Amino acid sequence: MAGRGTVQLRGGKDVILRVENLVQEFPVGRNRVVHAVSDVSFDLRKGETLGIVGESGCGKSTTARALVQLPPPTSGRVVLDPDSENEVDLTRLSGNDLRNVRPRLQMIFQDPISSLNPRRRVMDIVSEGLEIWSDGDIGTEGRERVEEVLHAVGIDPAAAASHRPHQFSGGQCQRISIARALTMNPEILICDEPVSALDVSVQAKILNLLEDMKARYDLSLVFISHDLSVVRNVSDRVVVMYLGKLCEVGDADRLYEAPAHPYTRALLASAPEPARSVGVADAVLGDDLPSPTDPPSGCRFRTRCPLAIDRCAAEEPLMKKIDEDHFVACHLPFT
Amino acid sequence: MTLPSEVGDAVMATSYTQAESAKARRLGLGFWLPMSWMILIVGVALLAPVLPLKDPTDYFIRPGERPPYPPSADHWFGTDQDARDMFSRIISGARVSLAVGFMTIAMSFTVGGALGMVAGLVRGWFDRLASFLFLVLLSFPGLVLVILIISLVDPTVLTISVTLAIGGIAPVGRLARAATLSFAEREFVIAARTLGARNSRILFRELLPNVIIPMGALVLLGVAAAILAEGGLAFLGLSLEKGETWGKLIRNGAGSRVLRDSPWVAFGPITVMFLTLASLNYIGDYLRDFFNVRETGLGR
Amino acid sequence: MTGRQAPLLSVRDLKVVFPTPIGMVHAVDGVSFDLEAGQSMGIVGESGSGKTVTAKTLMNLLPSYALVDGSVTFDGRDLRSLAAQRKTEKHLWGVEISMVFQDPMTSLNPVKKVGEQIAESLRYHLGQTRTAARRQAGDLLEQVGIPEPGRRLDEYPHQLSGGLRQRVVIAAALACEPRVLIADEPTTSLDVTVQKHILDLLDDLRAERGMSMILVTHDLGVVKGRTDEVMVMYAGRTMEEAPTEEIFSQQGHPYTEALIETIPKINSASHTRLVPIPGQPPVTTSPPTGCPFADRCRYTTDLCVAQGPPLTPLGDDHHVACHTPVGTPAAETVLAANAARGHTATGLEIHQSGVPVGAVVDGPGEQT
Repeated sequence: MAGRGTVQLRGGKDVILRVENLVQEFPVGRNRVVHAVSDVSFDLRKGETLGIVGESGCGKSTTARALVQLPPPTSGRVVLDPDSENEVDLTRLSGNDLRNVRPRLQMIFQDPISSLNPRRRVMDIVSEGLEIWSDGDIGTEGRERVEEVLHAVGIDPAAAASHRPHQFSGGQCQRISIARALTMNPEILICDEPVSALDVSVQAKILNLLEDMKARYDLSLVFISHDLSVVRNVSDRVVVMYLGKLCEVGDADRLYEAPAHPYTRALLASAPEPARSVGVADAVLGDDLPSPTDPPSGCRFRTRCPLAIDRCAAEEPLMKKIDEDHFVACHLPFT
Repeated sequence: MTLPSEVGDAVMATSYTQAESAKARRLGLGFWLPMSWMILIVGVALLAPVLPLKDPTDYFIRPGERPPYPPSADHWFGTDQDARDMFSRIISGARVSLAVGFMTIAMSFTVGGALGMVAGLVRGWFDRLASFLFLVLLSFPGLVLVILIISLVDPTVLTISVTLAIGGIAPVGRLARAATLSFAEREFVIAARTLGARNSRILFRELLPNVIIPMGALVLLGVAAAILAEGGLAFLGLSLEKGETWGKLIRNGAGSRVLRDSPWVAFGPITVMFLTLASLNYIGDYLRDFFNVRETGLGR
Repeated sequence: MTGRQAPLLSVRDLKVVFPTPIGMVHAVDGVSFDLEAGQSMGIVGESGSGKTVTAKTLMNLLPSYALVDGSVTFDGRDLRSLAAQRKTEKHLWGVEISMVFQDPMTSLNPVKKVGEQIAESLRYHLGQTRTAARRQAGDLLEQVGIPEPGRRLDEYPHQLSGGLRQRVVIAAALACEPRVLIADEPTTSLDVTVQKHILDLLDDLRAERGMSMILVTHDLGVVKGRTDEVMVMYAGRTMEEAPTEEIFSQQGHPYTEALIETIPKINSASHTRLVPIPGQPPVTTSPPTGCPFADRCRYTTDLCVAQGPPLTPLGDDHHVACHTPVGTPAAETVLAANAARGHTATGLEIHQSGVPVGAVVDGPGEQT
């Protein structure tokens, strides 16, 4: 696993975002560096939901933040409208140029309460984006847009005008965050663990809402989560990450029904309700957790992989295609 | 009261409109008692010129009796050794002491707060510079700095306030920086950036309303500290030359003989100063708790 | 609740109320269950259901201002009166009844070595010597599957990974050979691959020691195939208690049914439409007189609003707090009537097919 390579990138006119060789490293202490994301490449088609799944420390959230350049990645490219005349590489932009592109990629976060400024009224929070770009006065059109979006997510605009975030429930706060993102009319909505902090009975509503908003506002989604069932439910295509690297990429149903990478298989087998495509034996993993400042050579997963051979330490596996829209970075994938 | 998490879980399911009205009821006697004192003392201090008070510089010698005169119907707080009315002197002192207190805090909070907030948001070289400045200011022996400055300029209300304010920049700045750092990590700030907000907007719209809460609660505590600091300076003889301050009054009444024979000369101003400082501290604490609860929702 | 032998732990009509600035919070409002020796039970509920407060009541960890009513009997002893006599019962909690908490980072003392934290329990409760306690602590670390236990004894919590830390917490909980182990969301803060190992470990240890276990969780999947019984809680009350199998295959309570329906399934195809539960849990400062789930339930009748349903048997070992349990003829009739009318007794709109329709526009404190 933990491989690199770009064979999983698709071409074509409907690809609206392409991430190439993304690297994000953070210095820590004197001479050490956390290799949070190491050479990750994937793309997103218009109208698609890309799910990024992995456990803590795999780099999925860091990747999400790198997409919006907060902070900008150490290296790599994040390209909107690749291979077209409007192509723009976000990593090459700064200052006002970057600001001008920002409305196109919006984000919603895990903690619904801390995603909203506790000191401001909800209506002001949702109007914030429009205010920034209209120099203060959003006008009637702006106000209508805000009300329309609030209605769409199921929040009463009158209540929003007079109440603050702490007066709403977790699920409602998440809706407000979604509304805020939608006022900008983005092309891409990045969702970083949007339902992980919500109760089970509320999750379904928010997930349904995201589906509805995607259809209504013509969005493409990047959906990050550690919950395998949720990821399968919302995604068209899924990316599995481990310790900063990609393990497996592919069509959601295909990946879940025929997982090829030992780590993917272990994840699916460890879920409280395991996937039917794997068995109990697949869940067996070594306990030797590697350090992100000093990751294993070759394949980063090899220290826990039940199938590791010498080649795994010597040579980092490259992504290779094993089926229609199914790619894996492993020397010994299941097929 | 901070509720343990298990209770918090149960309470989270509760409608918050109930909680709001409950909190409003909480501004009880504990708040209004010290508040009344503050309103009284500040009100009297402000209105002193138009109130029918005795002239604080006048000598009210009674023939045949040596001052200081004990408290009586004529002189509510008695007089000092020169037969000057303590009541009006204390009020005159209040004008200066309170003025110094509030001016000092206004200056140190504005400057320190601004430096700290910008440092916390922008980081990089500015942060390093500001932190270094704070470090230097904190390491410098405060008293030496004050004596140095006072010896170079005329000690007026303004100069004393500026001098004390300089000493206050570092602690306030550090607090503002820490508060800004903690809020700057929160997702709503990242969200503001993704919407396209510039740093200045984030500073004023997102961070300031939040940072001002912990800082605001400390304003009153800071005023108390400044008044006390001025009192100390006056006691050392380093405060205003002309006019009265509580510190000067206390100094006047602190000689061992005066203290023993006519304690009211010192204890009049001491009592008033104590009540003022205690009230400021109490209200400051109260407000800090009040806003803490409001933001996090019943202490969670 | 079988009658074969007296259960090890028996809770009857437990109520816990907290006085707070916003009113009396009814965290637990009528919970009853039995736990046999060697049996494992899952307590499942969402946040605000009262499951953690129930667990803490059993462990005598409630704040002093909590008001408790009802009975808790352990091995024939009345736990509530024992809790009041702190001095005489120092060696019950932590010894016979022990608890594992959710976050190992906060349940371990960051400045004490790991081995010491286990050994101190052995010395205090069982009176062991330093050497004996240390040796046993090492044994315990081995039993919970920590590699190189001898070395780990002298490490600090921050030097261990989340999974290892939780194993240490389990070792400490098991040190004095408890008869009942209560695990409150023991794996929620852990990764899924680690979660499985920890849950397996708990199962193995339970079987080895013949220990009873209560597993408190919000995740139904965690109890599936693991516990003997499951109790589903909602708004501080027991909604359903049944053998685990039946909770999944034959739910009796509409809430359980709705809960299972709403969870995305790992084996369902992508973009399967999810079925949400409309509305939100009731306000805990004024618990409703009727059934707390009434305003969200598709089977609601006027009786449900007027009268809180008692826990009634539905089969072997299966109890439900519902007037019209799912699957019974009464339920079918009521659902058909509600669907035909277009709404339930509380005004919840019902689609013709029987599925509730959530309202769209809402303000604070209303729909979630």
